[in-house]
Amino acid sequence: MLLREVEYARPASVQEALRLLGEHDGARALAGGQTLINVMKARVASPDVLVDLHDLQELRGIELGADGTLDLGAMTTYADVIDSAEVRARPILAEVCAQIADVQVRNRGTIGGNVCSNDPTNHLPPLLVAIGATMTILGADGERSVPAADFFLGVYMTAAGPGELLTKISVPPGKHDGFASVPIGRDGTCIVNVAASLNGEARLAIGCVDAVPVLVKLEATDEEAIRQAVHAANLDPPADVHASADYRRHLAQVLSVRAVAQARKGS
Amino acid sequence: MDPVSRKTITVDVNGEGFEREVDARRLLIHFIRDDLDLTGSHIGCDTGNCGACSVLVDGVLVKSCMMLAIQADGARIETVEGLAQDGELNALQQSFSDHHALQCGYCTPGMLMSATALLRQNGSPSDEEIRRGIQGNICRCTGYVNIVEAIRAASE
Amino acid sequence: MTETIVTPERPLVVEEGDVKPGFIGQSVPRKEDKRLVQGEGVFFDDMKRHEMGFVHFVRSPYAHARIGSVDVSKALELDGVYGTLTGDEVAILTDPFFELSTPPGAHIKDYALAVGRVRHVGDPVAAVVARTRELARDAAELVEVDYEPLPLVLDGEEALKDKVVLHEDAGSNTVWSGVFDWGDFDAALAEADHVVRIDRLHFDRFSSTPLECAGCLVEYNRGTGQWTIHGNHQMPGVGAIWMAPALRVGIDKLRFVSQDIGGGFGNKITLHPQFTVCCLLARKLNRPVQWTEWRTDQHTANTHGNERTFLDVTVPVKADGTMLGFSVRAIDDCGAFPRYEPLGCIIWAQVTPGCYRWRSMRVDFTQVCTNKSPVAPNRGYSRMQHLWLTERIVDIVAGELGLDPIEVRKRNYVKHEEFPYETPNGCIYDSGDYARCLDIALELIGYDSLEERRRDAEARGKLFGIGIGSTLDSGTNNFGQSMILNPELQFSGNNEVATVKLDIFGEVVVTLGTVPQGQGHETTTAQVVAEILGCTPDDVNVRAGHDSYWNSTAGFSGTYASQFAVTGLGAVKGATEKLAGEMKQLAAAVFGCSPDDIELAESHARIKGNPEAALPFMALGAILNANNAGLPPELDITLNVRHVYRPPFEKPDLERKYGNLTLTYATQIHACALEVDPDTGVYEIVDYAAVDDCGKRIHPQIVEGQVHGATAQALGAATHEIFTYDEEGNLLTPNFYDYHVPHALDMPPMKNGYIESESPFTALGAKGMGEGGGAGIHAVCAALQNALGRRGEGPIVWRSCNPYQSVWELMQNPGETRKLVSVESR
Repeated sequence: MLLREVEYARPASVQEALRLLGEHDGARALAGGQTLINVMKARVASPDVLVDLHDLQELRGIELGADGTLDLGAMTTYADVIDSAEVRARPILAEVCAQIADVQVRNRGTIGGNVCSNDPTNHLPPLLVAIGATMTILGADGERSVPAADFFLGVYMTAAGPGELLTKISVPPGKHDGFASVPIGRDGTCIVNVAASLNGEARLAIGCVDAVPVLVKLEATDEEAIRQAVHAANLDPPADVHASADYRRHLAQVLSVRAVAQARKGS
Repeated sequence: MDPVSRKTITVDVNGEGFEREVDARRLLIHFIRDDLDLTGSHIGCDTGNCGACSVLVDGVLVKSCMMLAIQADGARIETVEGLAQDGELNALQQSFSDHHALQCGYCTPGMLMSATALLRQNGSPSDEEIRRGIQGNICRCTGYVNIVEAIRAASE
Repeated sequence: MTETIVTPERPLVVEEGDVKPGFIGQSVPRKEDKRLVQGEGVFFDDMKRHEMGFVHFVRSPYAHARIGSVDVSKALELDGVYGTLTGDEVAILTDPFFELSTPPGAHIKDYALAVGRVRHVGDPVAAVVARTRELARDAAELVEVDYEPLPLVLDGEEALKDKVVLHEDAGSNTVWSGVFDWGDFDAALAEADHVVRIDRLHFDRFSSTPLECAGCLVEYNRGTGQWTIHGNHQMPGVGAIWMAPALRVGIDKLRFVSQDIGGGFGNKITLHPQFTVCCLLARKLNRPVQWTEWRTDQHTANTHGNERTFLDVTVPVKADGTMLGFSVRAIDDCGAFPRYEPLGCIIWAQVTPGCYRWRSMRVDFTQVCTNKSPVAPNRGYSRMQHLWLTERIVDIVAGELGLDPIEVRKRNYVKHEEFPYETPNGCIYDSGDYARCLDIALELIGYDSLEERRRDAEARGKLFGIGIGSTLDSGTNNFGQSMILNPELQFSGNNEVATVKLDIFGEVVVTLGTVPQGQGHETTTAQVVAEILGCTPDDVNVRAGHDSYWNSTAGFSGTYASQFAVTGLGAVKGATEKLAGEMKQLAAAVFGCSPDDIELAESHARIKGNPEAALPFMALGAILNANNAGLPPELDITLNVRHVYRPPFEKPDLERKYGNLTLTYATQIHACALEVDPDTGVYEIVDYAAVDDCGKRIHPQIVEGQVHGATAQALGAATHEIFTYDEEGNLLTPNFYDYHVPHALDMPPMKNGYIESESPFTALGAKGMGEGGGAGIHAVCAALQNALGRRGEGPIVWRSCNPYQSVWELMQNPGETRKLVSVESR
């Protein structure tokens, strides 16, 4: 429960946030804190400086572009997503956000925090990979865009490097998405989760089986083809107290079939 | 503003103003319990799972163990101590008692705050919505049966 | 959602008590609630003292290691650190806590901090005190401990080989072992038409994990040498018996105080090591010290429920499904230190044949230490593990022989007309009607439509299963059973205290000896007192919590072992009746009549038949306490009556391990229906019925609350709650992130039914019922077994906790677990 000593800053602008992140080696951005503060409580992480993004209004909000692209600010909370009318352009987003943890966490936790912490059991990394989201990263050298499939680099590591901020997640329009998971209990941590998207190309992204979501592109979407494609991905999942590697490999196939089935129906 | 390790913050808790100097590392729940001596909100875990520390910050239900006190600077906080008015239990509190929705009472303050937030958003929740509304609050005594009943009754 | 069926159609054992109907049996408003729903309860962590220091423990990262050195110098240099305590100091300042076992367990040396060696991950090595909680943890990180890792042993069977020995002084990991042999098991085997053998069953480690973790605030009075411990120990009398000799002080130097406690479930019975550390620190540093255990500490290093392996289970069965008994070899893993153990080696014997008429049982029981967290009593203590065995026996035997588990239960249940029923080991089952409870459970769960629901589930691609758990919650221990383990122990019987007084302004004040943690003692006490004194529960002020200096405690005071309704309320009833007698004597003296002419009603003492001649309670209180001139000198009353309730127990026959070990037996017959997803092993409980019989229900709503809670804990234990270790002895489920307890969405809809078979042995006809018997665990296991396969084909559910992966594995290779079972038919 008891954090190590830390310094705290609450910048009023993104530029100031970037400056603070750049100036302090041990600085970390604090979004909703629903992961970071917990790991600090365990003293597993001990940043020297927390740069609280709370006041950065430019990182909040959801906009629906004329071409149907959704731009979601990184500091948008899960609750904002769930309540948003614009997000109905890509219904799977709200549907999955509603499955994350509980009311309190959804009220404070942010989509940017979710993907930047990249806990392999998180919901959003596989979802954003499957639906072909684009991540906008801002650094001292300016802004760049990274496809979600290239954003996740390792456990707790993403393309948003030191001194950089994820500012925006852009999602193309689409209705044919699915998400299937086996959590511990009704709404606990995921043992395996799979997101599927059948908008144009057929894409699966499997979570909890590697440090980053595993993207599987499907040639065909019948059950046998899905199972074979997942099999061909040669998953090497971790074993832990909740699941053996074999069980995860098995669930990856079963849940892939289910996620695709949901996607086919359209959400 | 440059990073600070300590800061004087002001908060409004249940309508009363407080000004205190806090370490940047102080969790909001410890600030409420230890520094303000409002001990109704509790701590039942160290991982943000149990919800015993749930309070409303600017009207939003949060777990105060996953927020720093320094983040609450300028905020309006509602805790269990603010529910009863002039010594009279509010409808939700009374319903918890009527339906035996508490045994040891340790999870109760957080549970009441979650129920408060739920009923403000949704005046007549279904059982499933009630269960979703308190999903972030662990109770080890009641099996939630009577808690769900109490919240439903209070909403009627 | 909740249905109640009160009292069966046919009469049960009813003992007319001398308490007339009134408040008893009514769900009056709980007195505790008003403060608790306002956040005005006082839990130990809510208390503050001027200049108090916060304690943080330095804990072992190794499961087994020799301690080379402990260097606290860097911690002491940190600004705001008040002081430290190490194992070396503890070894000088205290004696080891006494052990209950005979050798080898008797020789174990258990100190408040690790001395020379750590024996489980989280074993406290040193303690640091600082100005703030955060600083104390900072300082604890600066304590340098030099460890020399040792080989470790985590498995109970492996530990029995003594290749790695935890306690050198004991020379063996075995704490206690003994053979229990009742009836004539060899004759039963000879008589059997079938002998069913089960090679292995395993009851997993879990605990009830009360939401409030352990802790205390300790003040030391230098002038008197007395400690005040504001803590959440749930059995402080026994805590003091451990602590006082270790601290080398008289027992009255330890004052235990608690008001509200955030759940206990037995997990707060063995807090004496940590409390002793806090006592030493308060004295050493001459300031109040406060220790708050965090969740990860609790899971890692406080207390777990006993883990038990059952080997070579042998069950003789007649052709008609009558079972004659069983034999088993049980290995109980108590973790690194026995503490409250080896009491678990005998407590199960209170329910040796479970709900069944089995007459021949042979149990070879061994308890062993491993490099895991120590155990403590956990709701359903020791009986739950054993009852899981009896229930698995019934379902596995039924499955292997193609019998209906419902019919087999009914054939083997102790019959209603047989109560009071003496078990082969001398326990007396007081009352009950198991078959009737089962019928109600089946009715509630809709057993008639079972096949229809199975077809419906199968049409949706699910496997449907139904299972029964029949358990007993034996309440009110006869501590004489400890002598079966160790004849040297001087414990037998049981006791509890209540003090009831009429105060100067006529206020009725009750002081209990118990240590409530949510059971509503204030409320049920007020019901009983009001009933006897002729006032209302609102007129009765029951002091909240416990204070050993209230002089209302006895040796076994506490809240444990499902006994308040019997011992606590027995004491309340006794004290109140004595007070009522005194009030009548006083009124008689005032009115100049016989006490027999006085009645207590409507908060007055009045002359029967003459309501005008009435003294309000206030007058009685005032007269005796403040206006007593002229009262007859022979009027020997105090209006402040302390009563000790002592249940009627004998010492057991130690040779035969025979005797009545407990006073009451509440019944739980639960039925569970679940659906399994065959592709993933994920299952959902879709219907659940719990039928309970705890005799007279003093407060039906409280009884129902206990049933709900015990059921939720059992369902958690059956599905996800398990303490799993890696090879290095690290706990992999050290907090609620990985240890998934039921949340609101995890709980199935629950239907409840009741019958009331009053106990002939208790003052109010009530039975303790708070623990339950873990019926939900057994019902889920049975339902899984039912869902996963038909006779002779399905896997054997051989563990108590079956998370999704386990269910999937059972389905992948049913043959693997089928090897555990064999049937020899003659």
